[in-house]
Amino acid sequence: MDLAPRDGESVSLLAFDRDHINQLFTALAEVDAIVGQPTPKIRMGGGGVGIEVPAERLVEVARTLRDSLGFEMLTCVTAVDFVDHIQCLYHFRSLASNWLLQARVRLSAEQPEIDSLVGLYPSANWLEREQYDMVGVIFKGHPDLRRILLDDDFQGYPMRRDFRATPVTLRDRATTQVDGERAISGEQQRDQERIVPKHVGQGNEERIHPGKPTFGSAAVYLETGQGLLPGDMQGEIETEHGYEVDKDDPAPTSRS
Amino acid sequence: MTLETNQGNLGGAPSLFTEDATGLRSEEMILNMGPQHPSTHGVLRLVLTLDGETVMQCTPIMGYLHRGMEKTFENRPYMAGPRYIDNADYLSPMINEVCYAGAVEQIMGVEPPPRAQYIRVIVQELERIASHLVAVGTYGLDLGAFTPVLWAFRDREVILDLFESLSGHRFTHNYMRVGGVLYDLPKGWIQQCEDWATRFIDKNLPELEGLLTGNEIFVSRTRGVGYIDPQQALAYALTGPMSRASGVAFDVRVDRPYGAYREIAVRPQVQTGGDCFARYRVRMDEMKESVRLIREALDNLPSGPISARSPIALRPPRGETYFAVETGRGEESLYMISDGSEYPYRAKLRAPSFVNLAILPELLRGTKIGDVIAILGSIDIVLGDVDR
Repeated sequence: MDLAPRDGESVSLLAFDRDHINQLFTALAEVDAIVGQPTPKIRMGGGGVGIEVPAERLVEVARTLRDSLGFEMLTCVTAVDFVDHIQCLYHFRSLASNWLLQARVRLSAEQPEIDSLVGLYPSANWLEREQYDMVGVIFKGHPDLRRILLDDDFQGYPMRRDFRATPVTLRDRATTQVDGERAISGEQQRDQERIVPKHVGQGNEERIHPGKPTFGSAAVYLETGQGLLPGDMQGEIETEHGYEVDKDDPAPTSRS
Repeated sequence: MTLETNQGNLGGAPSLFTEDATGLRSEEMILNMGPQHPSTHGVLRLVLTLDGETVMQCTPIMGYLHRGMEKTFENRPYMAGPRYIDNADYLSPMINEVCYAGAVEQIMGVEPPPRAQYIRVIVQELERIASHLVAVGTYGLDLGAFTPVLWAFRDREVILDLFESLSGHRFTHNYMRVGGVLYDLPKGWIQQCEDWATRFIDKNLPELEGLLTGNEIFVSRTRGVGYIDPQQALAYALTGPMSRASGVAFDVRVDRPYGAYREIAVRPQVQTGGDCFARYRVRMDEMKESVRLIREALDNLPSGPISARSPIALRPPRGETYFAVETGRGEESLYMISDGSEYPYRAKLRAPSFVNLAILPELLRGTKIGDVIAILGSIDIVLGDVDR
């Protein structure tokens, strides 16, 4: 999908001062000189101006914006997955001139790499880390490009369009954790309360907690030798049943 | 001088000893502060590297409250958005909703009726006061003053009661709609609001201020602590009281007025101290300014409809927008892309707490450990806003 830039006049009723915006258009001639050709410029809602910058010129353009045009603040960094390409958007603010500028950079979907702006704007540090975390854009030259909001061992980038919103991590599943694939299919609810026969000593490895028989199965007592087992329960061990989520043994039997 | 030993007590890494002239040796210590710590105001974890009482390094670890809010927006229709953005900055849900509704309105090119815009200003300023009351009250609590939080919550309760009678909920109001607000002001609400404003500005706020502003312990713990100079504030893109306390007079309500702020002029509250005390002062002054704005909006409240006619299944035209509002913590903005369907293609929430928190490692480097709480509290983060 690609956005067709709409005519600026119809975008917003919050019409900002026309002269004010035109001053910014005039000032942006410096950016055109760096890029080497006139960059596409659009008027945005709320009095902002959008430009497009080639990825290899971004740092030079940002330096000009900061030093020459007075854009002191890098307010926001956004990466958007457009399936066939990825866009990186930078929002700059100039407080002295009260300008809002949106710089759009087009990256390839296979290898989304772009130079980091941390050297120019310290606020880019966490903003870029967040976009790396969510969309997977590689910011070259970033001093500390790690995941910031998600787990370090999280797989995938959630804000990509092809991301499936199921919990996937590299870690082994904890015994209480629901398998993500089964959680969305509804299988989990059917399986959870199923009772399967359990023989002496056949306990599921995951269920044995040394010194803490939480599941009440006599098999656990026998295998670990921990906990107390009353003598008159000895005869009942073979009929003890447990609860188990087991896909391989689908035959449900009744509680004895 | 530094010596490396093979005592692998820091997770296998060689520990670092420093030795001074008298032969006394000290060792760097790693201290985990949080995620369960009362003064982190939520679930923030700070890994502090200490040399004695001096903080050498601070590594914030966050994400414990990450709920995938931006992904949720992509999978919910536009009309459902305000309910989810409520939980971002859970101390100012009304302002979050204005941010979402305003972004969609800007894409669609519609404007709410004047009465709705004025109601929005009133509830936003009430929310700002409630948010600042929590900030100031818990800041006192962090620094060992117990009474301010009780006195601050006294007024916050009234504000929440007003919101309850207005929207039905004390939190997560779900009150804003694209094109207006959900309910009109109930009978007697304006009188209640004015009564509370008079009581607050004449009696309760001076009482609260008297507890802290002249308090010798409070002043000595905050004045000159956590200094941010204006250049630093701009470089780190700080907004809200964080930057206004450093002399950077940026306020979205003033520089990019939205809604009825185009008619009700806001006086930005600026201090030049740059320290924790200045940030506290900005918050106190903003509460007084908010009361003035509420009174002005109530006096000039227009009559008429409270919502523009908009379909249930909103399909904004293709386009993009960047819409910013001023919360109690700074500039909150939503970059939203619409592809013409019922769901936003992308909605990026620029959270003020997240951006403001990024300066914390810089601020803490070289300070004493006792000041960590004072500096962190003065940033006034909401972890729901940081993690989203």
